[in-house]
Amino acid sequence: MAQQANVGELLAMLDSPMLGVRDDVTAVFKENLNSDRGPMLVNTLVDYYLETSSQPALHILTTLQEPHDKMDTDVVVLTTGVLVLITMLPMIPQSGKQHLLDFFDIFGRLSSWCLKKPGHVAEVYLVHLHASVYALFHRLYGMYPCNFVSFLRSHYSMKENLETFEEVVKPMMEHVRIHPELVTGSKDHELDPRRWKRLETHDVVIECAKISLDPTEASYEDGYSVSHQISARFPHRSADVTTSPYVDTQNSYGCATSTPYSTSRLMLLNTPGQLPQTLSSPSTRLITEPPQATLWSPSMVCGMTTPPTSPGNVPPDLSHPYSKVFGTTAGGKGTPLGTPATSPPPAPLCHSDDYVHISLPQATATPPRKEERMDSARPCLHRQHHLLNDRGSEEPPGSKGSVTLSDLPGFLGDLASEEDSIEKDKEEAAISRELSEITTAEAEPVVPRGGFDSPFYRESLPGSQRKTHSAASSAQGASVNPEPLHSSLDKLGPDTPKQAFTPIDLPCGGADESPAGDRECQTSLETSILTPSPCKIPPSTRVDFGRGQPPPYDHLFEVALPKTAHHFVIRKTEELLKKAKGSTEEDGVPSTSPMEVLDRLIQQGADAHSKELNKLPLPSKSVDWTHFGGSPPSDEIRTLRDQLLLLHNQLLYERFKRQQHALRNRRLLRKVIKAAALEEHNAAMKDQLKLQEKDIQMWKVSLQKEQARYSQLQEQRDTMVTKLHSQIRQLQHDREEFYNQSQELQTKLEDCRNMIAELRIELKKANNKVCHTELLLSQVSQKLSNSESVQQQMEFLNRQLLVLGEVNELYLEQLQNKHSDTTKEVEMMKAAYRKELEKNRSHVLQQTQRLDTSQKRILELESHLAKKDHLLLEQKKYLEDVKLQARGQLQAAESRYEAQKRITQVFELEILDLYGRLEKDGLLKKLEEEKAEAAEAAEERLDCCNDGCSDSMVGHNEEASGHNGETKTPRPSSTRGSSGSRGGGGSSSSSSELSTPEKPPHQRAGPFSSRWETTTGEPSASIPTTVGSLPSSKSFLGMKARELFRNKSESQCDEDGMTSSLSESLKTELSKDLGVEAKIPLNLDGPHPSPPNPDSVGQLHIMDYNETHHEHS
Amino acid sequence: MTDDSQRNFRSVYYEKVGFRGVEEKKSLEILLKDDRLDTEKLCTFSQRFPLPSMYRALVWKVLLGILPPHHESHAKVMMYRKEQYSDVLHALKVVRFVSDATPQAEVYLRMYQLESGKLPRSPSFPLEPEDEVFLAIAKAMEEMVEDSVDCYWITRRFVNQLNTKYRDSLPQLPKAFEQYLNLEDGRLLTHLKMCSAAPKLPYDLWFKRCFAGCLPESSLQRVWDKVVSGSCKILVFVAVEILLTFKIKVMALNSAEKITKFLENIPQDSSDAIVSKAIDLWHKHCGTPVHSS
Repeated sequence: MAQQANVGELLAMLDSPMLGVRDDVTAVFKENLNSDRGPMLVNTLVDYYLETSSQPALHILTTLQEPHDKMDTDVVVLTTGVLVLITMLPMIPQSGKQHLLDFFDIFGRLSSWCLKKPGHVAEVYLVHLHASVYALFHRLYGMYPCNFVSFLRSHYSMKENLETFEEVVKPMMEHVRIHPELVTGSKDHELDPRRWKRLETHDVVIECAKISLDPTEASYEDGYSVSHQISARFPHRSADVTTSPYVDTQNSYGCATSTPYSTSRLMLLNTPGQLPQTLSSPSTRLITEPPQATLWSPSMVCGMTTPPTSPGNVPPDLSHPYSKVFGTTAGGKGTPLGTPATSPPPAPLCHSDDYVHISLPQATATPPRKEERMDSARPCLHRQHHLLNDRGSEEPPGSKGSVTLSDLPGFLGDLASEEDSIEKDKEEAAISRELSEITTAEAEPVVPRGGFDSPFYRESLPGSQRKTHSAASSAQGASVNPEPLHSSLDKLGPDTPKQAFTPIDLPCGGADESPAGDRECQTSLETSILTPSPCKIPPSTRVDFGRGQPPPYDHLFEVALPKTAHHFVIRKTEELLKKAKGSTEEDGVPSTSPMEVLDRLIQQGADAHSKELNKLPLPSKSVDWTHFGGSPPSDEIRTLRDQLLLLHNQLLYERFKRQQHALRNRRLLRKVIKAAALEEHNAAMKDQLKLQEKDIQMWKVSLQKEQARYSQLQEQRDTMVTKLHSQIRQLQHDREEFYNQSQELQTKLEDCRNMIAELRIELKKANNKVCHTELLLSQVSQKLSNSESVQQQMEFLNRQLLVLGEVNELYLEQLQNKHSDTTKEVEMMKAAYRKELEKNRSHVLQQTQRLDTSQKRILELESHLAKKDHLLLEQKKYLEDVKLQARGQLQAAESRYEAQKRITQVFELEILDLYGRLEKDGLLKKLEEEKAEAAEAAEERLDCCNDGCSDSMVGHNEEASGHNGETKTPRPSSTRGSSGSRGGGGSSSSSSELSTPEKPPHQRAGPFSSRWETTTGEPSASIPTTVGSLPSSKSFLGMKARELFRNKSESQCDEDGMTSSLSESLKTELSKDLGVEAKIPLNLDGPHPSPPNPDSVGQLHIMDYNETHHEHS
Repeated sequence: MTDDSQRNFRSVYYEKVGFRGVEEKKSLEILLKDDRLDTEKLCTFSQRFPLPSMYRALVWKVLLGILPPHHESHAKVMMYRKEQYSDVLHALKVVRFVSDATPQAEVYLRMYQLESGKLPRSPSFPLEPEDEVFLAIAKAMEEMVEDSVDCYWITRRFVNQLNTKYRDSLPQLPKAFEQYLNLEDGRLLTHLKMCSAAPKLPYDLWFKRCFAGCLPESSLQRVWDKVVSGSCKILVFVAVEILLTFKIKVMALNSAEKITKFLENIPQDSSDAIVSKAIDLWHKHCGTPVHSS
């Protein structure tokens, strides 16, 4: 304690404002924590933190290291923690997944804990722990099957964990189905948030329950299939004598009393149709074990149906979560809650017997267990009493039910908050509430079972009489049972098998015990009946694990053995009952809420317990106490408190589950309502459908009528149509007849027309004839008139003839008279005239002949003229033609000449270029020679070279020697470009380039004019030679030379005419060579002059033309 | 045409049926029989009908004035020409302007330059644009005329004709081209204008070189028949017809450079058709030439 105080001070200092102090204290704490391995300091720190929420404390706690963080081995805390975890898990499926491995780890550790029991943990706690681990197993397997299974696989593949697996985990696994997720899902899929989004908390809980095979845990929502499976399973399992369905449930806390009932109840409710099947299996079972079955089955059946004996046992069970659940469900269904009470007695009896049988030899009893049992038993008894009281006062339970119902919402709201807080006050309050509800729930069903009250009352009331009654109770149970058996034999059929094998051990135990005649046996029986404390659980677990193996908490059963403990318990219960009576009498007022009642109940229980502990002299107990070393009773109290706490936790957990179920129920109810609504809707729809069908029928009838009418009309129409058709046919026939008639008439008409036409033609002919005749007539009449006139003329002419004849005669007479005188003269004259006329005529003839000839001549001449003109024209044309031809040729020649000129130019250019190069070379040479001082020799050499080069130009050289002597000499000596003198121009081609195009025309003008003179008759000796010399150039070089020469000569001529003699002689010399050529131009003198002179040629042409023209003309 | 009556009376029907040039040869022969050839008639004939290839060189020579119209002087004139050719060639060889290895077209060019006095000082001097034109035409002519003397003379006179007779009309051809293209296919012209390709068309190739190097010689000589006989407008129609023929491709091209590039390298396979159509087009727009006398 000194240390504790010290710690307290340190803690106070921890929050001191001084930083240094704080650090110091922290250091001290850490040191302590490192040195001290006990959990005490840590616990104090936690407490301190919870009280003050001091940051430094938290800091120290968070930096805790091994072993402190694992040191806490308090089962109460662990169980609470596990239960909280289980409760929380469905609420945080998603956020909890990151801690999944931690959860698994917790499971693994706790399961190993269950087996290994480190420290001095009370077995009673272990039972709780085991239960919570079992629940955790279900939860984890239900929510994360894949992960969990893989964890299990990995964790229990290790050898050190194998034992744990065999002992703890494997049995758990027997109570679960294969999770569907194991097949369809995967590890990741399980953790998928989408999976959880659809599910609410209660859904998750139910999901977990679905995979459970544990009849207390499993969810039967899926309908008959599950229950059927279970019901079918149980009979099978019953074949194995070692396991009973009750014990099998693994929740080893004496639920044996309630579970069989509930399962059977459930089966009863759920599987009425399967009764025959289930019945058959029990029957076989009964056959195999005839004596026991017959012996025990009635009692079991009674147990199912008779409630009276149970109440004493039920309350303790109710404190247990499972029993609570079933109790409520049973109550909700209106079946007698008390029913299980009868059945339990045999079960505990058997277990206790069994237990006694084995544990007696060991004969070690722990006082704490006894006390514990007492403690737990007390409230139960108290409640029992209270129940009885309730009935005694005959208060309508309905009112209480109504109260609880009204309280329910509040209770539910509290539940949520309760789950969050772990503080004890709240928990207690919750427990009290819980209990009150349960009691009310239980109270409800009791009412209809009023008939069974009396036996129950009788039996349970006298606690001391229990010993004697214990046997009687069974007997009575048997006596009472028949009635329900008869009434509900069929119904309870399925139950019987289950119950039939539970007692399997009982006969054995009974058989063993009864010969011994031990009273202890009975007492143990009674205690077991009376005390629903967890001590009962061990037997079941033991049975579960098999008889060969001693269960881990076997020694617990010793608690049940001591007689003293039993006595103590009985006494206590009596007292408590009295007290409870008093309290309940006070509570008789309906105004007090069940919550308060429960509160008081717990309070009183606690008081009584402490009182008993303090006051009791414990004479009988002393043996035990001494036997256990006289451990202080305060320890006992603590354990009992813890147990209470554990139970409370369990209760909370169960309540949580119940709440989830309630939620689910509500949902389902809503679904049912919806379904009902839909059904109603369906019905309404059906009605509507019927109405519509009626309508349809009506419509059909009318349709038929209409169809009939329609067919009638159709017939009428048909007849009409046929009639009309016949009419049409008749009319058509008529029409055809008419048509034929008309055609006949038309042919007639045609004939008539033809006839008319013929007649007309005839008429025309006749008319023609008439006309013709008329014409003839007129002609005839004309002829007639003509002939008449002719006749008249004839007459007139005749008359004239006559007159003329007379005149003729007259004239003849006159003539004859005058004729003789003038004839000679006249004749002479006539003859003269004739002659003259003839003369003239011949003359005229002559003249005309002359004229003709002259005319002919003129014509001849004219034609000649024309011919000549034509000839002239032709000649002209020809001339033109020839001229054109010549011109063409000339042009060709001209172009040739031009080309030659260009060629010459190019050559000159080339030569000049070459000369340029040569001179450059020469200059260089000369420079060298000058250096050698041999200029004269070089000059001579050059002259010689010149002489040698121009062989053909002797004259030129001779002449040149005179003129160009001076110029030639400087040419090689001085630079050619700088001189540019006229003499240089003569010798060099650069100047000739300029002179050649200009000079020839100029020069030629001269020669031609002079030649013109020669033709006119002024011959000059010099000129022809010049002319002749010009075309002599046959070769290019010759021409070139001539040109060059001529330039010189002419320039010389211009300068001094006298020197021409020299050149003359030269030219003659030259002309000797080309004499023939020179002659030709002279002789021909016309169209073949020097070809290289285009201008003069043009002149010539014109002249020629003119000349020829003149000649022609 | 008075001489049409002398020809086969079926000739009209030949043309209608599509046999062209069946009777032309005969009529040409008649024309060529005349002493003192009538160049006018020859011109008209050559504009109206395609020349038979065997007479082409002769007709061209006559039309270009290489040969005088008189048959008598033909031999002599031709001799002159030949001599001139060999002289010039000789001179060029002497001054080492050309060698045996020099391509014939270049030889022609150098000869032409020499004769026109434009011979550069060195053969390595860069060529003038007109020299390029000459080279192109000479190359094409080389394919058409076998004899090198003829070829040189025809080329020379042809180029001369372009430089003298057509000097004024050649620059007008692009305008005429646009005008006729607008008449034939306005959309194409607008497309060209839109691409601003109209001023960038290869007018040099078309009108200065008379399609030398653009069309294969077999079709080109039919065009040149017309050019030699005095009509340079045919060039416009050939250009128009080229554009019409490759209209789809030209329409597909959007940039002036691409169009120009394409037109400079048009496919050769359809050139015969192009030329035939172009001549038809020319006849359609300018009328069939009739002898004026």
